[in-house]
Amino acid sequence: MVLKLLGLGFRYLLRRPYTRLYPYKEPPFTTERTRARHLLYMDRCIGCRACQLACPADAIKMYKIEGEWPKNRLKIFPGVDYSRCTYCGLCVEACPTSALVMTDYTMEHLITEDKSTTLYTPEMLAEPPKGEHRVTFTKDLLKPPPQPPPKKGGGG
Amino acid sequence: MRKLQVFLGPQHPGAPGNVAFLLTLDGERILDVDLIPGFLHRGFEKMMEYRRWDMDLVMSARICVEDPDHVELSYTHAMDQIFGVDPPERAKYARTIVAEFSRLASHLLWMMHFAGPVAARYATSWAIAAREEVLKWFDYVAGHRIYHHYIYPGGVRWNLPKDLKERTLQVLDRVEGLVRDMERGFFLHPVFQRRARDVGRLKASDAVRLGATGPVLRGSGVAHDIRKALKYDAYGMVDFEIPKGEYGDAYDRAMVRLREMYVSIGIIRQAVQQIPEEGPYRWRLPMALPPGEGVGRVESARGEFMTHIVSTTEKPGGRPLEPYRIKFRGPTMAHLTTVLKHIVHNEEITVADFPVVVGSLDPCPPDIDR
Amino acid sequence: MKGADTGRRIEVEVEPSQLRERLRRALEEGYDHFIGINVVDYPRAGVMEVYYFVESVQRGGELLVVKLRVPRENPALDSVSDIYPLAEYQEIEGHEFFGLDFRGNGSLRKWILDENWEGPPPLRKDVDTRKFVLETYYGGQRYERPKQEKSLQEVVE
Repeated sequence: MVLKLLGLGFRYLLRRPYTRLYPYKEPPFTTERTRARHLLYMDRCIGCRACQLACPADAIKMYKIEGEWPKNRLKIFPGVDYSRCTYCGLCVEACPTSALVMTDYTMEHLITEDKSTTLYTPEMLAEPPKGEHRVTFTKDLLKPPPQPPPKKGGGG
Repeated sequence: MRKLQVFLGPQHPGAPGNVAFLLTLDGERILDVDLIPGFLHRGFEKMMEYRRWDMDLVMSARICVEDPDHVELSYTHAMDQIFGVDPPERAKYARTIVAEFSRLASHLLWMMHFAGPVAARYATSWAIAAREEVLKWFDYVAGHRIYHHYIYPGGVRWNLPKDLKERTLQVLDRVEGLVRDMERGFFLHPVFQRRARDVGRLKASDAVRLGATGPVLRGSGVAHDIRKALKYDAYGMVDFEIPKGEYGDAYDRAMVRLREMYVSIGIIRQAVQQIPEEGPYRWRLPMALPPGEGVGRVESARGEFMTHIVSTTEKPGGRPLEPYRIKFRGPTMAHLTTVLKHIVHNEEITVADFPVVVGSLDPCPPDIDR
Repeated sequence: MKGADTGRRIEVEVEPSQLRERLRRALEEGYDHFIGINVVDYPRAGVMEVYYFVESVQRGGELLVVKLRVPRENPALDSVSDIYPLAEYQEIEGHEFFGLDFRGNGSLRKWILDENWEGPPPLRKDVDTRKFVLETYYGGQRYERPKQEKSLQEVVE
């Protein structure tokens, strides 16, 4: 029994560690569906506030940006407060024009020492993240779009 | 005899998370135990009354951190009843798979919490390694590691990936290998057997009377499982057994959880084979909540989880978007109050045994506080 | 029941005076597993609805819901903690969150809310917890973000 257990323990001694050598050797683990920092396509945004109303954490507020925005008559765009955001993705689902998407640029990259810099204004969101990233969560993930449930014919 | 009162607080390494106990001691022996909850009270039930039903789903996952999908599942079941929809076939299987993976992750985390106080540090790291595999699977399907928000009223949030079957079977093989090692290296280890045998006995009749659910109830020899009893989602279509213990001590409860891990792996293997390839994954639901009432009961990793949602048109202003009242009933309250008191009153439990007893009940204090 | 079958249940409505008798009969009928108590507050009708959820292990998880209404002004009803032990703690919850008075339960006190909340029972519908917290604990001041260098004109909601 003891020898068997020693053998078992020894096998684990020779294994590669499960921990990732973040941040110096390896980036954080992400997949094709990881939800993390947003990306805002300002030319698509129509300023409808659907994302603001869908946010459970009140992280999104609308800000006025001066400029030529043919689609956005009110000139308002969402800005995300990352000290509140829970990365649930309801804002992306709510967006009617797919202007807001999420990348896999995880919160590990967004770590900051200065609390006052966690608010990302629309211009900051429109700029792609500096590091390596891919656009992961768009409305394409919801394809085919959900249909209304079929009417049930008696007995459920 | 001098009685001593000791506060076993939330920061004590032997305490199971955000909860404290007031122990009344006579020397080493615990005479009485009082639960002191409230360290994690966030007022979710009230917050949810202010928010839309789809936002409430995101909040509901936070009620039990270790097993979020079952809270979402019970919330979703209650919502499905209010909307009067039956989820599509593919979503039923997807829910089953996700819920079983959540149970697996939760049991592995329990394993880590439990092996620590028993001083088997190696088992702790093996459990976390196995859990890491499960969390990576969650990241791959649901997009996040801990809070997935994948189970959604009307189905699941988005479609399953195309290579689900191969990838899932791969993950399961790796997890199963680690669990088998844990069984040999920890559960069947004579030191652990001596530590946990005959500690914290609970008779079957008492377990039912005191309101114990889940592995605690099954460890006492009562084969009661909501998955089997109500056959919700795809549980009616897969074949599985209910593991149960014999004596109802800490060791039996631990073994029930170990065997449940194998059962979960078996259920996922079957569900991945049976899941229909095509078909809708979710029904689109209206924004406004129809008046009604829903009760969602699921077998979470710790026991029965119930969500009771009442939706009315009581509030003036037309169609309600927010539910009128949501009540969550977690399994932990019964385990840490009535069951723990019963064990301590009827058995000589010393302070050194206390973490073993509490650990074997697998508490998740957030679902007391909510 | 429509929808998923986890909501299958038998609902019984009783008068507050019959509660103990009804639950004792339920225990004899085999509903041996107490699950919980839920309270729903209806300020306009002036009542609170109290739901008792009891399950039967012998009958494969059948759920019995005993429902009753108590007046909001004087919300008192009998404790059932001697019939179902777990009810003692669920009643404490009903007491601290809704101000219900369970006659015969000796341990009614602030339990989850102890040292966290000094005020009216928070889950009552006419208590606006957000306003109360703002006035009592934050002195009327909302939490503001620290000033950011890039100042923007925020759209007023």
